Amino acid sequence: MKNSIIIISAVALVLLSAFSAVSGKYITKGAHINFFSHTSVEDIKADNYKAVSTIDSESGVVIFSIPMQSFEFEKALMQKHYNSKKFLDTQTYPKAKYKGKITNLSAIHFDQDGTYEATISGEMTIKGITKPSDQKGTITVKGGEVHVTAKTNITLADFGIGFEKGKPAKNIAKTIAVTVDAKYKK
Amino acid sequence: MSKKKIIIVAVIVILGGVGFFLSQWFMPHRDVQNSAIDIRITAENLVAEYLKDATKANAKYLQAEGESKILAVTGTITGMEEDMKHQKVVYLASATEAKVSCTFTEKTNKDVENLKVGDKVSVKGVIRSGATYDEDLEMYEDVIMEKCAVLHE
Repeated sequence: MKNSIIIISAVALVLLSAFSAVSGKYITKGAHINFFSHTSVEDIKADNYKAVSTIDSESGVVIFSIPMQSFEFEKALMQKHYNSKKFLDTQTYPKAKYKGKITNLSAIHFDQDGTYEATISGEMTIKGITKPSDQKGTITVKGGEVHVTAKTNITLADFGIGFEKGKPAKNIAKTIAVTVDAKYKK
Repeated sequence: MSKKKIIIVAVIVILGGVGFFLSQWFMPHRDVQNSAIDIRITAENLVAEYLKDATKANAKYLQAEGESKILAVTGTITGMEEDMKHQKVVYLASATEAKVSCTFTEKTNKDVENLKVGDKVSVKGVIRSGATYDEDLEMYEDVIMEKCAVLHE
């Protein structure tokens, strides 16, 4: 009886450690996404602090899920336009997604403090339209925490967001700058 | 019409136009906490509605211009943290791993000071997106609420 208890405990311990070793996943539910549009008429920026993201240090898979209605603009009217059917249609498409894979995974040591440049190959889905999207980001590992910063440009027309005529065509840049700032924990 | 009348009409039209432009330009953001509650629901039922039929729930809770439903959600606190904007975040439990994530504001952060995991609370805020199991993330995504404050009723 005593022996069987010891064996069961040993098996349980091995199983537990096996499972914890398998999960190399870093998670955040509060990534900060900013976008910035510059034209000669005006600068527009919006911030979102509610993006969910995971990085799998074993497979190199990087995922971002962005709640589109969480973008906040300085001007209320602009926020309404951004959300509306004509532009991002956030009621029908409440989330945007980025799915990618780190292509230089061997150069990034998640178990070692340091700053690493990552290249990511993937795809972006906005308003139901998916486009290939390769990115570069900086990964800083410090005391078990992973901090990612990245900058990219998004061409609105790629995702069927067009401003052919009127005021938005003059006020909103064709390509907007997007910055990402995310702090992950295991 | 006399010249004078034409000028008066023109001035009124111009002033009206300028006034309309200014009211649009300076339109204030909706004050969630000073707006009426649209729907009262438990965290458990809200998550369940989304997991059952997200399309239907989005049509019910999200509004096309981003001014989505103002909810009073009741539930038990399973976790608390602070986001990158230094806003307090309180997670309310459901029957699944998906939670209701409630983000407070600079003004309402103090509401959570005396709260702890296990407390039952009612939180008023605006819904931003719903709960779902995401196969890419390999985890449940929470219902996201922002501009939150604790309801004392």
